[in-house]
Amino acid sequence: MTPEPTPSAPTAPLSPAPHRHADTTHGETKHGAKHGDGRHDGKHGDTKHAETKHGGAKHGGTVPPAVVRHESSRPWQLAALAGLAAAALALGIWSLLSVDPARIGGTGLVEALPPVYYVALALSLAGFVGTLNLRRYTPALLAGQVMVLVVILHAADPIVHGLPRLEASYRHLGIADYIAKSGQLNTNIDAYFSWPGFFDFLGMLSGATGVRDLMGIATWAPLGINLLLLAPLLALATRLTSQPRQAWAGVWIFFLTSWVGQDYLSPQAYAFLLLVTLLACLLSVFSGWAWPTGSKPFTRSLAHTVAKLDPTVPHQGMASPPPADAAVLLVVCAGFLVAMTASHQLTPFAVIPILALFVLTGRLRLRYLPILAAVLPIGWLVFAASAYFEGHLTHLFGSFGDIQANTLGAVTQRVSGSEAHVLVVYTRLAEVAFVWVLAAVGAFMAHRRRTAWLTAAVGALAPLALIPGQPYGGELLLRLYLFSLPFAACLAVLILIPDKQGAPGWKRTIALMALGSVLATATVVTRYGNDSMEQFTPEEISLVNKLYATAPAGSVLIEAVHDTPWKFQKYAEYDYRELLETQARPDTAPLTCDAANRIAQRAGAYLIITTSQKRAAELLETTQPGGLDHFIATCGASPGWTKVFDDAGGVVFHIKGAGNGI
Amino acid sequence: MAFDRKYVTYAVGGIAIAAIPLAFFGPEGLRLVVIGLLMLAGPGTALVLLLRFGPPDSPEARSSLPLAVAIAVASSLALSTIIATAMVFSRIWSPPAAVCLLSLATLGLLALGAKRSRESLAGAR
Repeated sequence: MTPEPTPSAPTAPLSPAPHRHADTTHGETKHGAKHGDGRHDGKHGDTKHAETKHGGAKHGGTVPPAVVRHESSRPWQLAALAGLAAAALALGIWSLLSVDPARIGGTGLVEALPPVYYVALALSLAGFVGTLNLRRYTPALLAGQVMVLVVILHAADPIVHGLPRLEASYRHLGIADYIAKSGQLNTNIDAYFSWPGFFDFLGMLSGATGVRDLMGIATWAPLGINLLLLAPLLALATRLTSQPRQAWAGVWIFFLTSWVGQDYLSPQAYAFLLLVTLLACLLSVFSGWAWPTGSKPFTRSLAHTVAKLDPTVPHQGMASPPPADAAVLLVVCAGFLVAMTASHQLTPFAVIPILALFVLTGRLRLRYLPILAAVLPIGWLVFAASAYFEGHLTHLFGSFGDIQANTLGAVTQRVSGSEAHVLVVYTRLAEVAFVWVLAAVGAFMAHRRRTAWLTAAVGALAPLALIPGQPYGGELLLRLYLFSLPFAACLAVLILIPDKQGAPGWKRTIALMALGSVLATATVVTRYGNDSMEQFTPEEISLVNKLYATAPAGSVLIEAVHDTPWKFQKYAEYDYRELLETQARPDTAPLTCDAANRIAQRAGAYLIITTSQKRAAELLETTQPGGLDHFIATCGASPGWTKVFDDAGGVVFHIKGAGNGI
Repeated sequence: MAFDRKYVTYAVGGIAIAAIPLAFFGPEGLRLVVIGLLMLAGPGTALVLLLRFGPPDSPEARSSLPLAVAIAVASSLALSTIIATAMVFSRIWSPPAAVCLLSLATLGLLALGAKRSRESLAGAR
């Protein structure tokens, strides 16, 4: 292993040092003419603020951190910006509390949001860009502004609905409940039990606290997860960019464009948090070439190519712990990999190409870590998840190498449903494309002005190596967008935020505000576009509870369309079935009474049709318009069908079986 | 900075100690808050207090707060997950015992951190 290049150990023939901000002579800091505004005359210690400056160091040479002095911001500016954040927060929460969920339609929450919400959003955006443009770098206020944005943009669901979003949240609660009660896994039920780490964690929390109902945690998970992501994202962005304001803007852009909605109580959200922390830690502590770059022609040529592409390595955020502490951090990083591997199928595989490319570009000096990152998930799949592995070989490897099916095929499948839903899907595609274009332009501009960009570009592109693998249930591109977003966001900000320290200036600030407004408005549509089917009502939960109270253990429970807030308890006590998947496929059989009768023919069954199922069927055109109402009217009158419950949450039928067992 | 470290140490130590009895009995809400905080950030914060991200008062050490917070949370979550998963696979499921283990790990790391700080201070003198 070779540590971060030092002046005494040059790594490659290099171009002249770009952005070499400062030299240290006799213990004093000198600044070039470029930073004349930051000269330290030592007379205004009370009114000037020290800002640590790194970055722009020539690759292969470490520039000692310098100190730049900036005039303090005026107190009224700080107070005004803090007031802006407070006003945005208050207005945002108030406007979300006043949303009428009944008005949420095909394009989602955007139809029901009052104009005040957009005022709050605009105030939040203005607060952030205003704080970024202060002469004095104020991380505490920037953190406050980003947190306000997170609340306004990512906590809408819990504030509006007060219940967990997505039927998967309810399923996850059920798995945790099963583990908390039994302390065992049941790999015969589904794949979740083959990657149980996150559910074991929830089960331990439930078991140790005596709190059996984690519904409140699931409800507020989107807010909690995004707030927890703030520190790792900032640590990572700090290592990807040349100055702290770029890092903060990168984090801000991440939250403005994070629409994929994986931030619910889920293994993928948990694994993503570990992933970002792992990468931030590795880039901060173990940065550098994994081998001497001057000895062999290949390594020399590789280092030369890398230096030609991006001659800078940002030094901000770099940690230099003592060797024993670095060894402990290495063990901690291995622990992150283990926890991630035990918890989620996809995320550990996304780590492999990222780490491999970091090693190959001299950003990570732990050459064996990518190998460990590969061995762990493959070993887990073969040994710990052997039951799943043996039964799903075709599913796992059936579409290996089929890039067309894993990309365009999956996207095409998603561009379906009602006109309103298709509009949302196209907006999502446009937002993804826009972010990638911004990232590409940012990388190009950074390359032209010879500032750091390669690490972020490598991180953004590396997850795409998973594309030939498999479509991951049609969600692969969605997940890859999320994996690459922390990096793409840091590249995007390079267009507007300068590399030198100090306020970006009003022109850039206004441009950043305009960009933020476009992205935030798009994300309101893209993130909450499925709200009509992803959110549930207390009446639906009540109906499910009544079903559980009525159906004896072991009963077959059928949902007409796969969108029911159930399984949050008694996960293994019933035989859960569905008649239709949420997303219709070309080979999907039509919804008929016979389909339900066939399932119920042996021992009977209970069939539940909720209002969310109806909304999902209409939104995604899973059935003909009014198809579920027609199904209820016709099949409900069939012999053997008895209506058990019929209320605002939906309807439950009991279907008699031939054996008449239940 | 030393002032902050001292109070963070007290807070984490308090949570770790309180979590031990609460893992067995107590009001549900209080147990959820205390044990939840321990599993979210307890051992990780103690670890971060033990580690040094650079020479004392160096820019590296000062600018590593986001990284330290991230590692504190992620390592606590990871450790809790690994313990819980190990218990499930070894069929010795006992969440209260796991919380006691986490508490002891936290207290041990805090003690090591305090010892290291004392030694650093003595060395500086």
